[in-house]
Formats: sequence, C-alpha cells, structure tokens
Amino acid sequence: MNPVRAVPYVVKQVVRHRVRSGLTVGGIAIAMFLFTAVQAMNEGVTRVTAASANDTTLVVYREDRYCPATSRLPQDYQRRIESVEGVAGVTPMKIVVSNCRTSLDVVTFRGVPKSDFIAQRGGEIELVAGSLEDWQRRTDAALVGETLASRRGFRPGMTFNAAGITAYVAGVIRSDDPQDHNVAYTALPFVQLAGRDQLGVVTQFNVKVEDSSVLDRVAGDIDRVFANAQDPTATFSEKAFIGRVADDIIELVGFARWLGLGCLAAVLALVANSIVLSVQSRVSEHAVLRALGFSGGQVAGLIIAEGIVLSVVGGGVGGAAAVAVARYGNFAMSVEGISIPISARAGLLASGLVVCGGIGVLAGLVPAWQASRREIAACFRAA
Amino acid sequence: MSVLIECRGLTREYRKGGQVIRPLDGLDLAVPRGDFLALMGPSGSGKTTLLNLIAGIDSPTRGELIVDGADIGTLSRRRLAAWRARHVGYVFQLYNLVPVLTAYENVELPLLLHPLTRRQKHDRVVTALERVGIADRRGHFPSQLSGGQEQRVAIARAIVTDPAVIVADEPTGDLDKASARAVMELLRELNRESGKTVIMVTHDPKTTEYASRTLHLEEGRLAGGSAVGGVMA
Repeated sequence: MNPVRAVPYVVKQVVRHRVRSGLTVGGIAIAMFLFTAVQAMNEGVTRVTAASANDTTLVVYREDRYCPATSRLPQDYQRRIESVEGVAGVTPMKIVVSNCRTSLDVVTFRGVPKSDFIAQRGGEIELVAGSLEDWQRRTDAALVGETLASRRGFRPGMTFNAAGITAYVAGVIRSDDPQDHNVAYTALPFVQLAGRDQLGVVTQFNVKVEDSSVLDRVAGDIDRVFANAQDPTATFSEKAFIGRVADDIIELVGFARWLGLGCLAAVLALVANSIVLSVQSRVSEHAVLRALGFSGGQVAGLIIAEGIVLSVVGGGVGGAAAVAVARYGNFAMSVEGISIPISARAGLLASGLVVCGGIGVLAGLVPAWQASRREIAACFRAA
Repeated sequence: MSVLIECRGLTREYRKGGQVIRPLDGLDLAVPRGDFLALMGPSGSGKTTLLNLIAGIDSPTRGELIVDGADIGTLSRRRLAAWRARHVGYVFQLYNLVPVLTAYENVELPLLLHPLTRRQKHDRVVTALERVGIADRRGHFPSQLSGGQEQRVAIARAIVTDPAVIVADEPTGDLDKASARAVMELLRELNRESGKTVIMVTHDPKTTEYASRTLHLEEGRLAGGSAVGGVMA
C-alpha cells in the first residue's frame, strides 16, 4: 500500500475522534510550549555565552566586583589600555540599571563617549528610527535598542524615565549583538552625573582587539598594567564576562533543561496513553481492517501514523505559540546590566516538530506491534 | 462448475486453559464456483472457524485448504493478507463498519490496498453502493443508519474489490425480519447475477432458503460425512 493513500484515513481518525484528539493535542501543546520556551532560554544563553573565532571584544571590570553598582574604575585608565599592544579601540562605559535583580523588564543605560562609540560601533549598528544627529546634539539623548523600544513602546521624540534618569529617545537601533537589544546608549557624562561623585568614574571598558587570536594575551596584559593600582582590573572576553555575571541565570536555565526533558516525557506519556486507549477500544476495528486485507504491518503503520499526527499537531501548536510569545514579547532575562535574550527562531520550532514526530513513533510502537500480532479471529471472538 | 474451494482433512486446534480445543476436525469439503452455501450447526460446531479459514483470517493446524487454486494454509501472514484483499469479501454479523467513516468512506476502505486512480476508486464505490441500494446514504455515518442499512454498506464494502468469494457470518443475526429478508435477497442477487460464490453461516433456517445448498456441522465435522464433489442438504 502506498502510505500516502492512508493519510486521509489517519487524518479522519484523528479529526473525528474530537474529544480524544482535542484533549491529547491540548496536553501536548502545553508541554511543548514549556519545552520550546525552555529551549528558547537555552538558545539565548548559548547565543550570548558561546565563544566564537570572531570574538574581538574584551570587557575590563573592577577586580572582585560583579555588578555595575560596585565596579568603579577611573576613566583615565582608557589611555593606558589604548597603549597595550593589540588594542584597536577602547570605549569607557558607565552602566546604570533600573533594576538590580534578575528581571524580564530592565532598562540598562550605557553612558559612552558619543564620538568613540560611533567610530567603533557605527558599522555594527543600524539606526531604524530617529536621528543620529539628534543623539549627538542633545545631552539627554538616548539611542534605544529595538527590543527595549518595542517592549516599552518607545518612539523617537519621546522622553522616558528609568533608574531616576529622564532621557530623550533620539533613535531606535538594531544590532546582531544581544547586549544592544535592551539598552539605552547615552552620553557618558549624562549617566555619570546621574549618580553622586561619579564624574570620571566608569563601570567598565569595552576593548576591541585587532585580532581574536590575541584576545587572551591582551586581557592578561591589561590586568598586568593595573595589577598594583588602587583599582585593579579583571579582564575577560565579552562572552566569558557575560557567563560570569549571569552565572545564576545560566544555572537556572541549566536546571530548566531538566524541566524541558520532563515536558518531553509528558508528551510521550500523553501520546502513548492516547494511542493505547485508542487501540484497546478499536480491537475489532483493526481486526476488520486485517480481514479486509491490511497486513499486520500496515495496521501498525496506521496506528503509528496517528501517534505522529497527534504529537506533531500538538507540538506545532505549542511550539508555534512559544515562538510567537518569545518573538513578539521581546523578553530578555537581565541581570547586572547583562541581557540574555529569550531567543526563539524558526529552527527551534522545526527541531521541536522533529522531536514530536520521533515521540509519536516511539509512543505508538508497542500498541502498534501488539495490534499487528493479534489473531484476527480471536479479536472477533473477544468483541 | 469448477471447484473454487477445496478442503482436505482440514483441522484447526488451539489451546485454552491447558486443553486442546478442536473446533474443526479433519473436514473434507468442495465448494463449486458460483455456489451459495449455507453452514448450519449448533454453537461450537466449527461453522465460524471454517468460515474464517476460508476467508484467510485464520490458518489451519493441519490439512489442505485450496481457494481459487491457492493453498492458503501455506501462505505467510503477509501474503495471506494480500490474498484476502484480492479474493475475499467478509460480511460480519455486527456489520463492523468504522464508526468515524461515512458509508462512502467505509466502502472505499479496502480500495486503499489497490493501485487505482481516484476516479476509478470513486466509480467502484458508487457502483457498489448503488448495487446494494444505499447510494443516497453515502454521506451518512454508521450511527445515522439503521441495522439493515449498515449491513448493506458492509456488503458494498465486501464486494467493492470484486472478490471471487463472499463469506458472511450470520449476516441477518442482528436484523429485524424485513431487513433480514432484504439482505438475503441482496446476497442471492450477488450470487445469481454477479456469479459470486457465497458462503454463509446462519442459525436461522429461513435464510437457508436463499442458499443453493446447506451443510450441517457437528463437533467440527460435516453431519453425515464428506461433501466433496456433491451437495448435501
């Protein structure tokens, strides 16, 4: 039998057993929503912490400090860092966050020297709304990350208040770097003046090196320069820095992976339960199919196909809902000025569907095998 | 008339609770092509077992069973399934229609196994439904049909593949008198006009009036001996 011919039969079995299919698909959708959400968090963590050969950014922080409020470095370290061999550019940065705790809605101000910022990051950032001239001209102007703008409804020309700072939205920016998605870039003195005794003090230096191969060497050289200074430094690659600061979130997401596996187990149990009950209640129907000439293997195939349809439909609904919520909710887990996007791409949905298909096969295997081995005549006697 | 079905020393045994049950015990039988054979006998006499063996949904423990030239007792499960799809139409006492499929879809079901175009399948289904006089109910689900109508759909399903043999296990056992008569007339038409060989198990002596001959089984054997090459009533 051509398997394609059996598709309408399988679909009718699923669609016309409305209550059974509806409950099963609903359960699978909920479990797959959770699984996809966990995977989206996991993907976000991987995206911001996985080192790559193209990494050329270092973050210089105050040694033994872990949050922007306590990392205080003299701004004049900039010149000494620039003199280290292999350094291509240095951006001093003052960071102020609206919420020190882990949250899904944090506004992070990054005060930067505007001209240095444009020179070093201009090529990586796209202005999607507003005016760069406006940003350069106004002291209180902010370039707002697209995710933050979308989440908070910020548009050019608006003013907003966060962390006790009132800023003017000069433009909305787009960037591939997740750390740009939830920030408001403003003038460095503007953020420094927002706190007491902060003029001349920065939170960190973002250092561009000439080549990724010298990343570790330059980091070591910078820390050696300030080893005996009043404020010694700790320098990391940007991704290692994020991994260090966001350690709690990463641990939490690591634990959530178990939750994800639990969701898959729930899907397996749901589909298996549905298929077993279905096969038990349709013993004579399957015997009729075999009396009509279907082989045991063909009947088994039909049962497994039902499992696949149920789990893929449920997984599709749940996964698509999770991807939509992650994409349009513009969520990011923020901690200490670091942003980890909850990143759900289409590939995540596709891989979820493949997993669901596999679960459908697995869930249907035993009942299908049992149905294929039953004596036809015995099924009629039992019925 | 040539012999379509031939049983020689046909025996079926199975174990139940440590005991060997032998519903069929060395039966010899020949059924000519185009015959309408009624099988009668008390419960446990082996009627349904014989029917199931002829239909290829059970396999003999010993003996030969040749249907339309094929020794179906020696076929593997897979080959036997393929053989059933081509040669046998089964009519059940309780109709056994698939409840979530319409009358049309139920009749179409066996054609999934046949390499036909959509048009060919449609024509065959419509012809079968018209043949049993139920074409106007093609879109109805089994729950929306009477018992007699359901059995007509089941007969349409049995004939849609144009099999040589129709086996019917108490086809009127669950029907009222009028419906039973209609179903029996339909089986007789299929036998006489379409040349189908019909083998029917029944408890009702009235239905045997439609058959060309009746055999009685007792304790797994034909009452009165062999029916090879002849008619026994």
